[in-house]
Amino acid sequence: MDWWLWPVVLFAVTFAMGIVAVLAGVGGGVLFVPIVGAFFPFHLDFVRAGGLLLALTGSLAAAPRLLRNGLASLRLALPLALVSSATSIAGAVVGLALPSDALQIALGLLILGIAVLMWRARQSAHPGVAHPDALGLALGMHGSYHDPALGRDVAWAVHRTPAGFAAFGIIGLIAGMFGLGAGWANVPALNLLMGAPLKLAVGTSGFLLLGGAASASWIYLERGAVLPAIVVPSILGVMLGAQVGARLLHRASPRFVRRLVLALLFVAGARALLKGLGL
Amino acid sequence: MPPPEHEICARWLELGGRVGMALLAASFAIYASGLLPPLVPAQELTRLWALSVDRYVAATGAPTGWEWARMLAKGDVLNLLGIALLASVTAAACAAIVPALWRDGRRLQAAFAMLQVIVLVIAASGAI
Repeated sequence: MDWWLWPVVLFAVTFAMGIVAVLAGVGGGVLFVPIVGAFFPFHLDFVRAGGLLLALTGSLAAAPRLLRNGLASLRLALPLALVSSATSIAGAVVGLALPSDALQIALGLLILGIAVLMWRARQSAHPGVAHPDALGLALGMHGSYHDPALGRDVAWAVHRTPAGFAAFGIIGLIAGMFGLGAGWANVPALNLLMGAPLKLAVGTSGFLLLGGAASASWIYLERGAVLPAIVVPSILGVMLGAQVGARLLHRASPRFVRRLVLALLFVAGARALLKGLGL
Repeated sequence: MPPPEHEICARWLELGGRVGMALLAASFAIYASGLLPPLVPAQELTRLWALSVDRYVAATGAPTGWEWARMLAKGDVLNLLGIALLASVTAAACAAIVPALWRDGRRLQAAFAMLQVIVLVIAASGAI
């Protein structure tokens, strides 16, 4: 196969991925790393760098709007992003030091775990925090945002802040190690663990991704793991696909898209696992 | 109404994201068209991208650390300029909101924003 065909195929696949990611409400990175890692001839080191840069550029595109309409909170994001970006550096260093087979096995198990998490996930639009904890209050993790759907301001606060810090430490480590982005974990951690309203959790997750993805991207860049022939067509493909996906949003069946994403994750996770086991 | 630091942060992220993406698209066009010779010939790339990054770097002499900044005359390496800019935008946006938070008396949040900048600078420094 001529070399230039690979970026073209990669662009086509990531374009489709961008459409599906928007329709399913997941980040591009969580689909990119398992699918491209399983079905393309690139080493996982380069794929993981690509996944992080996809997460970074996707968040850069979304974050300004979320900040302006108040659905991302810097009060909530800044302390948590600090922890996750520090641990994502450690994750990137560890990920680049691990043997490929071990990493493939771990990636396979992680992707299967994420698929199960998405399958069983509950969400709570307004979890309600009866007793905000002292650390959250001391850090100013409370406020309000305007919800246009409800037509009113919604007050919010958080609880279980120490557990939230621990969760974001682990999320950053995993994101840096596997290049998956972290939206799949940020939202449940903010919403179900810390009690942030769902819309605020989704919006703030976009900003939280920036710190972790940027920190880990620097490590991959400095180790020589960023291959433009892989990264650039993928970024362009996912971003254009996401724009098409946004236009198709009102026509797509959410149930079908969700099942498609789960099927893709199960197949890609199983393939990564088998690859790692040498089967 | 979102607080003023949201608008400051949004403006930096928007500007940096747009400039970075434009730079990335332009540099990839230069690379793909062959206007500048690549460090790693494209035909060899299909064999080399299956190697781990350590073996790839050993086989090609691909830049590590900040070496890429001195090799921008190579079509493939030139793309790393846009990548580095995109990876720097978050630090710039966090640094930009520090004065607004400080003026507003939110010293703790200003400290978190500053610490975020420090973490990103350490990551970018090549010291790790």
